[in-house]
Amino acid sequence: MTDTVRLNTLKPGDKCLIIEIKATGITGQRLMDLGLIPGVVIEVVRNAPLVDPVQLLVRDNHISIRHSEAREIGVILL
Amino acid sequence: MTEIVVAVAGQPNSGKSTLFNMLTGMRQFVANYPGVTVEKRVGRMNYKGYKFMLVDLPGTYSMTSYSLEERIARNFLLKERPDIVLDVVDASNLERNLVLTFQLLEMKIPMVVVLNMMDAAESARIKIDVNGLSEELGVKVVPTMAKRGVGKAELCDALLDTYQLAGDINDFRLDYGPQLNRSLNVLQEALADDERASAYDLRWLAVRLIAGDEEVSKLFTGSLA
Ligand SMILES: Nc1nc2c(ncn2[C@@H]2O[C@H](COP(=O)(O)OP(=O)(O)O)[C@@H](O)[C@H]2O)c(=O)[nH]1
Ligand SMILES: [Mg+2]
Repeated sequence: MTDTVRLNTLKPGDKCLIIEIKATGITGQRLMDLGLIPGVVIEVVRNAPLVDPVQLLVRDNHISIRHSEAREIGVILL
Repeated sequence: MTEIVVAVAGQPNSGKSTLFNMLTGMRQFVANYPGVTVEKRVGRMNYKGYKFMLVDLPGTYSMTSYSLEERIARNFLLKERPDIVLDVVDASNLERNLVLTFQLLEMKIPMVVVLNMMDAAESARIKIDVNGLSEELGVKVVPTMAKRGVGKAELCDALLDTYQLAGDINDFRLDYGPQLNRSLNVLQEALADDERASAYDLRWLAVRLIAGDEEVSKLFTGSLA
């Protein structure tokens, strides 16, 4: 059984499967609007500690989110 | 003769304005939505003896009530009840765009989906089963390339057909899974006898309430602001 980790802990080049969006309200909605939905596979493009934003590849789209938002996304490393 | 009112919705950069220009040409004017400074672009077109009035809604990623643009777009659809909502979709970004499409379908207004940017989808080697999509969604789906003016007549015919069949609202139903479906059904039944719900589609209300939508919740706490 693979463990769910928080998206902000992954490194550039890591691919992962989104398991859950913990954020609710407007933040949760914004993340889902960007295509970050449970079941979707994404790749981390850029993630440096303390440096916003975290850059992700969702399908063919590059998107940027904050570390504080990435922490609210539970994923499984592939 | 009455004008057929078409609200043009879509996510930012789906080509909504380009498509709006393709349909209405120079016959446009700009107003504001009541009480706010958000621009309301209105245009007219004639087709096969019918008059259409098109309203360009603010581009939004979804139809919740979190941003002013989303509230404006949604209130226009709920309060003005246009004859048709035209959902402009970026065909090269179908999956992300469908989120808004589903939310619009749940509002149960006669609808036409435009698959715009078909050229970009083709360059990205994306193949779309247009008829299959139309069957799944229960509405007409028309491929276009608004930038090159391609698809105009087909789109106008789809609008006209949809207007004439306005009695058959799409019976599309998003499957939220057994647990949520059950809660939605319970809530929907409770709302059936509630006068405050009478102006809305009950399933739409139930979905929005479960999603914690503040504007919709206000309907049931009395304080409409
Ligand atoms: N490749 C391609 N580009 C398009 C098409 N329609 C619009 N565009 C371009 O997409 C960009 C965004 O269009 P716009 O109409 O401003 O989008 P809006 O934000 O939805 O109003 C512009 O650069 C348009 O020229 C199309 O069918 N194909
Ligand atoms: Mg525009």
